[in-house]
Amino acid sequence: MAHRRGSALLVAPVLVLSLFLAGCPKRPATTAASAPPPTGAPPAPSAAAPATPAPAMTPSPAAPATGAPRPAPPAPSEFRETANLKDVFFDFDKYDIRPPDAKTLDTNAAWLKTNDNLVLIEGHCDERGTNEYNLALGERRAKATMNYLVGQGVQANRITIISYGKERPTCSEHSEACWAKNRRSHFLVKAR
Amino acid sequence: MNKIMGPGRPLGVLVGLVLLAALGGALSSPPAARSQAADVLLNVLATGAKKLNIVIPNFTIVGGPDTQGLGRGLSQVTARDLTFSSLFSVVSDVPAIPVGDPAALRATFTNFAAAGAHAGLQGVLTLRGDRAEIEMRLHDLTSPEFRLIGAKKIELPAAQTRRLAHKVADEVVLQFTGEPGVADTKVAYVNSGSGSKELNLMDYDGAGAARVTSNNSINISPVWSPDTRSLAFTSYMRGYPYLYRMFPFENRPVQVLAGFLGINSSPAFSPDGRSVALTLSRDGNPEVYVLNLATGAFRRLTTYSGIDTEPTWSPTGREIAFVSERAGGAQIFMMDAEGANVRRLTQAGFNTQPRWSPKGDTIVFTSRQGNFDLWGIGPDGSNLRRLTAGPGNNEGASWAPNGRHLVFQSNRLAGGYQLFTMLADGTEQQPLTRAPGESTSASWSPRLP
Repeated sequence: MAHRRGSALLVAPVLVLSLFLAGCPKRPATTAASAPPPTGAPPAPSAAAPATPAPAMTPSPAAPATGAPRPAPPAPSEFRETANLKDVFFDFDKYDIRPPDAKTLDTNAAWLKTNDNLVLIEGHCDERGTNEYNLALGERRAKATMNYLVGQGVQANRITIISYGKERPTCSEHSEACWAKNRRSHFLVKAR
Repeated sequence: MNKIMGPGRPLGVLVGLVLLAALGGALSSPPAARSQAADVLLNVLATGAKKLNIVIPNFTIVGGPDTQGLGRGLSQVTARDLTFSSLFSVVSDVPAIPVGDPAALRATFTNFAAAGAHAGLQGVLTLRGDRAEIEMRLHDLTSPEFRLIGAKKIELPAAQTRRLAHKVADEVVLQFTGEPGVADTKVAYVNSGSGSKELNLMDYDGAGAARVTSNNSINISPVWSPDTRSLAFTSYMRGYPYLYRMFPFENRPVQVLAGFLGINSSPAFSPDGRSVALTLSRDGNPEVYVLNLATGAFRRLTTYSGIDTEPTWSPTGREIAFVSERAGGAQIFMMDAEGANVRRLTQAGFNTQPRWSPKGDTIVFTSRQGNFDLWGIGPDGSNLRRLTAGPGNNEGASWAPNGRHLVFQSNRLAGGYQLFTMLADGTEQQPLTRAPGESTSASWSPRLP
C-alpha cells in the first residue's frame, strides 16, 4: 500500500483542513451516522448470539425460585369472555370506583351470585406513563374492583386479579376518548 | 482551573470536569501523576478548543490482504465511537499507514498536524486463526516528533472483531480522560416488531440488534446485572406477570426470581449484584422489596396503602429512590436501603421512572407536565433541571456506565416510540433505533468484561 500513499495523502489534508477549522462541527461528515458500515465487519460478537430462553424454569443455586407461586390460580388463558359482566372505567391515574361504575358492578355482582363461576378481573391503563407505574396502577384498579364485588357479597376466593398495565389497550388511538376506554377493569369467567 | 475551562466553552467545561473527576484532583499533583495523553488534552483545551482533533487512518491489517475493507471498517467504528463521546472531532477514512514505515507515518501525521490535528491513532490488526489482536498507538501531533503517548494490545476471538474497534475507542478515551469510554457496551430493550413485546439486545451504537426472547407474550422492564451476564425482566410468558432472570450470552435456563400472586415487576439490581429491588403486590398493594439472590429472601421496604414502585439504587447501594403516590400523585421519594428515613425528592407534576446516575450526582426521571419529558435532580433535591422539551414524549432514560450519556425513548417521529441517545445535559439528541415496530424500555449495560 506504500506506493499509493503519496497522492492520497496530498489530497486528504486539504479536505481535512476545512473540517478542523470549521469550528469543530458536532459530527464531522466523515464520521457521521450516515457513514457506511464497516464493509468487512464480522457478525455480531458471538457472545451476543441470542439463545431463545428455554421454557424450563429450573432454579439455580445463584437464584433459587423462592418466589414460586402458591396454589396457582388458573392460567389467564383458561378464562373466557362473557357478555354478562360489563367493564368499569377509571379517571386518569385513579383507581377509585366512580358512582356510575358502582352501578355496573352491582349488576355484575348480582350475576356472579347466581352464576357460580370463577372470575378473572383484568386491570388496564391508558398508554401514558411508564410500563412499571401502569402495572401498579392496573393492579390497584383490579383490586379496587375486586374489593367492591366482595363488598357486595361475592366470595373473594372466586376472584383472581391480573394487571396488564398499559400493555393491552382495546383502543390504539392517541386521544382522550381512546384513553378513557383503556382505563378499565375487564372481566373473564371460568366454570368451576 | 481557568486554564482548562475557558468561559463560554461548555465542552471545555465538560471535559474539564471529566478530567477533574478522572484525575482525582491530580491537577495539583506533579505532572507525572497523569498520563501524557491527559496533558495533551489539557493543553489543547487551554487554547480554547472545544474538542480534541484526532485523525484515525484506516487500520492496518497484518497477516493477509485486507480484501474486505476490514481495516477501514473497523477504523470507522472507532471513529464513530469517539465522535459519539463528544470529546473528539474526528477525521477518518484516511489511507492506512504501513507497518514498520516511519516515513509513511511521519508523512501522514505531518499533513494532518498542519491541518489542525492534535492526535493521531494508528491501529494494527493481526488475524491469527480464530483470534484477532489489535495494537493501538496514540501519537501527540502537537509535539515536533509526534511522540507516542499511549499504546495497548487488545485480543478477542476473531468473531468479535467489531468489539476490538470499540475497545480501541474506550482505550483512547481512557488515555485522555482517565476513565474508559462506553463503546464496548450493549443496550437491552423491548421491541414489538414481531407482533409481541420481546427483549432485544444491540451494541450501544445500534449494530447487531437481535431478539433474545421469543415467547410471543409480553416482556417488559429489562435491566442489566452489574456483571453484564444477566437481565432481569417482567414477562407474561406463564400468564401472570412474574419476574424472571435470563442469561443472554450463556446456555442457561431462564430463572423465576419472583412469581407471587399479583405483580412482580420493576427490577433493579443492587450495585454489588447481590440483590434485586422490585415491586410485589403480594401483601395487597404494590410495595418495594429487596430480594437477596443468594438466600432467596424477600425483605419489604415500604409501607403505604397505595402504589410504591420503580426502585433505583444509589451507586453506593446505601439508598434507594422510588415512586410513591403517598403524597397524592406520583412523586419520587428516597429511603435508606433498609427502608428507613423516607423523604420526598420531587414536588410538582407527575414524576416516575427515577434512574440514579452511576456517578451518584443526578437522578433522572420522567415528568408529566402536558407531555412527558426527562428531568434531572440532585439526590439532595438541588439542581432541578429539564433535559428534554419535546418534540413528542421523552421517557424512560437509562444511564451509560460513565454517567455522561443517556438512552431514552421518544415518539417524536412518526411510527411511535424509538430509542434515542443524548448527553446527560440533554444536548446532542440523536436517534439510535429505526427498527420495525416500537422500541422502548432501554437499559444501557455496564462495560462488558
